[in-house]
Amino acid sequence: MTTKEPGQQHPIRIYLVVWGLLFLVSALSYSTDFIDRGFWRWMLILLFMVLKAGFIVAVFMHMRWERFALISAILTPPVLLLVLVGLMTIESDYTRSTRIEHFGDGTRDESMPAAVRETDN
Amino acid sequence: MTQAEAPYQETMVVHQPRSWITRYWFSRDHKVIAVQYAVTAIAVGLVALVLSGLMRIQIGFPGLLPFITPDIYYQAVTMHGMIMIIFLLTAFLLGAFGNFCIPLMLGARDMVFPFVNMLSYHIYLLSVLVLMASYFVPGGPTGAGWTLYPPQAILPGTPGVDWGIVTMLLSLIIFVVAFTMGGLNYITTILQARTRGMTLMRMPLTVWGLMMATVLGLLAFPALFVSAVMMLLDKLVGTSFFMPAMVSFGQQLEHSGGSPLLFQHLFWFFGHPEVYIVALPAFGVVSELISVHSRKNIFGYRMMVWALVAIAALSFVVWAHHMYVAGMHPYFGFFFATTTLVIAVPTAIKVYNWVLTLWKANIRLTVPMLFALAFILTFVVGGLSGLFLGNVIIDVPLSDTYFVVAHFHMVMGVAPILVIFGGIYHWYPKLTGRLLNNTLGQLHFWVTFLGTYAIYYPMHYLGFLGVPRRYYANGLESDFYPESAASLNEFITIAALVVGLMQFVFVYNLIVSYFRGKAAGPNPWEATTLEWQTPKTPPIHGNWGDTLPTVHRWAYDYSVPGEEQDFVPQNVERRP
Amino acid sequence: MIGVERQTIQANSQVPETTLETLADDWGSDIATLKGVPWGKAMMWVFLLSDTFIFTCFLVAYMSVRMSTVEPWPNPSEVFALQAFGVSIPLLLIAIMTIILISSSGTMAMAVNMGYQRRKEAATNLILVTALLGATFVGMQAFEWSKLIFDEGVRPWTNPFGAPQFGAVFFMVTGFHGLHVSAGVIYLLTIAFRIRRGKYDESNFEIVEITGLYWHFVDLVWVFIFALFYLW
Repeated sequence: MTTKEPGQQHPIRIYLVVWGLLFLVSALSYSTDFIDRGFWRWMLILLFMVLKAGFIVAVFMHMRWERFALISAILTPPVLLLVLVGLMTIESDYTRSTRIEHFGDGTRDESMPAAVRETDN
Repeated sequence: MTQAEAPYQETMVVHQPRSWITRYWFSRDHKVIAVQYAVTAIAVGLVALVLSGLMRIQIGFPGLLPFITPDIYYQAVTMHGMIMIIFLLTAFLLGAFGNFCIPLMLGARDMVFPFVNMLSYHIYLLSVLVLMASYFVPGGPTGAGWTLYPPQAILPGTPGVDWGIVTMLLSLIIFVVAFTMGGLNYITTILQARTRGMTLMRMPLTVWGLMMATVLGLLAFPALFVSAVMMLLDKLVGTSFFMPAMVSFGQQLEHSGGSPLLFQHLFWFFGHPEVYIVALPAFGVVSELISVHSRKNIFGYRMMVWALVAIAALSFVVWAHHMYVAGMHPYFGFFFATTTLVIAVPTAIKVYNWVLTLWKANIRLTVPMLFALAFILTFVVGGLSGLFLGNVIIDVPLSDTYFVVAHFHMVMGVAPILVIFGGIYHWYPKLTGRLLNNTLGQLHFWVTFLGTYAIYYPMHYLGFLGVPRRYYANGLESDFYPESAASLNEFITIAALVVGLMQFVFVYNLIVSYFRGKAAGPNPWEATTLEWQTPKTPPIHGNWGDTLPTVHRWAYDYSVPGEEQDFVPQNVERRP
Repeated sequence: MIGVERQTIQANSQVPETTLETLADDWGSDIATLKGVPWGKAMMWVFLLSDTFIFTCFLVAYMSVRMSTVEPWPNPSEVFALQAFGVSIPLLLIAIMTIILISSSGTMAMAVNMGYQRRKEAATNLILVTALLGATFVGMQAFEWSKLIFDEGVRPWTNPFGAPQFGAVFFMVTGFHGLHVSAGVIYLLTIAFRIRRGKYDESNFEIVEITGLYWHFVDLVWVFIFALFYLW
């Protein structure tokens, strides 16, 4: 008595293929560790991260075959998070620049306000 | 056969309680859980009310009660704020109204996962108990203000720095767990368990308001959770998420490198949606009350729905209007002031639609209607002062003054509380089969409405004068405090004490009417929505008996030309 | 009326379509918006959405703390390197942990497939393998923690490598992730034993898919932690 739910099942092949791809992209991710730090390294890290996330959500979590109502309900709210991330990036950079401006940069001692440095501790 | 294939929830097993414990304490019936939430929220709300009385006495008549030291005062400020916002307003509007109204208004037998629903109440109760435990730990509750800003919240000089802040943060974390469990139930029920014919656009606005508030809560409470966890770590483990290098009481602290602004951003990313979590169900209930008690369909139902959705979405991008003077990036004010003024537009649309609903309507000035009308008046006043505060430049002198206190009390404290009262008067007959006493209701209404106006309207002037908020020593030995401010404070205090006392009359009404109230019948307000069409009142377990209702029309068929009565319930078939 | 009936008929159709046209129909229909989605699955998706916000807030805090500190941030490749065959291999343990978690995701996906084919024994065994892999992951994370705490002197409030927030963020983020994995292992074991006992025989075994969603989410979070904390 097999009650197949059409749309819920797909040939195992697709899962195995994506599984393999995940291993591949993970290996590629890992290999970015050996590139010098800089813009391209960051880009590759993010690219591979998004690829892996996409595979997991679309295939393993089945989103690719779900109806649009579910996709829209679940994938729209995280867009709000991009606003938070973006604004906090700017804010954190601003915090750092005010610290450098007021307390100097580089060494630990210099980043402390003078009043703190001079307390008898 | 999955639940998805049986659209009627007829596969749903209805909870059959066997003993007193399973019937009342561990009940899985959404109506009982709603009452549990209501009773707990009212009880803890009365505690916060008493605290506000103590605060007002100190402000209006400083030194009158010598046991109110600065510590006691700041602890009262903090606990009053946190209890009212989270443990009363959020818990009542979502926990009580949400649980009671959603399944009934959708034609469902219960929530989709009644066991989880039951758990959510008990975890909420636990969070209340942990918060109340603040009063019994060494040092007492925290006095950091409901916003709990670091670094001061976890440094000596603030009351409750040893234990109080820990119990507060733990209580919030537990509350988030409870809210998530309840919220998941509401969303899934609204999305998946409506009855036949009930499309989303036929749902009463109460459910829409509750739905959008639930979405907001599920997405915003995580930020509070994260902030609370990190502050706990800063306090208990010595991390420096929010703690910069600083000197406290002459001692250099071990912390360094953290940013207090990070807490503020995360807190308000939660905090602003939180106020809409309170406001949106209130909007929904008001639409219901106005429509029913003026025998007229809500004007512009579709726009009301879209306004709710727009407000919910926009509420996530306005948060830093609470931080204009905090020292954040200087250009942020521009962005957030813009979004803040934009969010005023859908809100205003809702106000216009309420007013247009009342235009040429057959208004019945019942007690629920009075509260609904009062909501409109007070919310508009509070909203207008919000326009002042939303502009960066005007906010600079008004920030942290009584103008802000007046604003948020009007929009959060007065308006939604009036809606809660209105909702209770409206749905009490469905819950109990009896009406609340009308005379006491009228007395309660007029004193509360006029009284809260007397409290908060003059408070705006105090703000203009520059009187700061969260000050203990109001008027005592301070040069800048004008005489007029001191006498306004006295007036406000007296009004506050009168309003506070009147709430006990309301509680008395709730209890006595249960036993001696006038019998209400199944539909005393002649409303169209499904909850009034249950076979029995109060509704039994499973709500509908053998067959679920089928919906044929929207929720607002009032005064339809050609119909016999001035209302047509949602489950009445259309004539061919 | 006719619109409602058409929508009701569609509600009973079992062929999910991903096209945009179904969007308005679904949102405008009665009874259920998410057609063909059992209640438990809908609830799990919404829960995961909420959990996404939690982890995002943690990662935003990490980003903020790292960007705003003037002290140098430790290099994770060096901190998490392991000595093997006399050579220091960067991020070796983390790479192994990633492989283990991805493997567990694969076994979980197969378990879901077995579940829908009603092959109870296969599904149960695959779930148990997934749980075992998950437990191994937690064990390795615990090893990583003890190595950093006892051998390297990393504390939540300070560490010898750089900015003091490094340890704080590491313990907090991996701690919460580890908690989720541990809870997942318990959840998996519970479901496996319930399947074996026949509790879900009357159903379509969608419970396996629901469990799978949670497990894949745990893997998904690790993808982000791996990229943003360990690699960046």
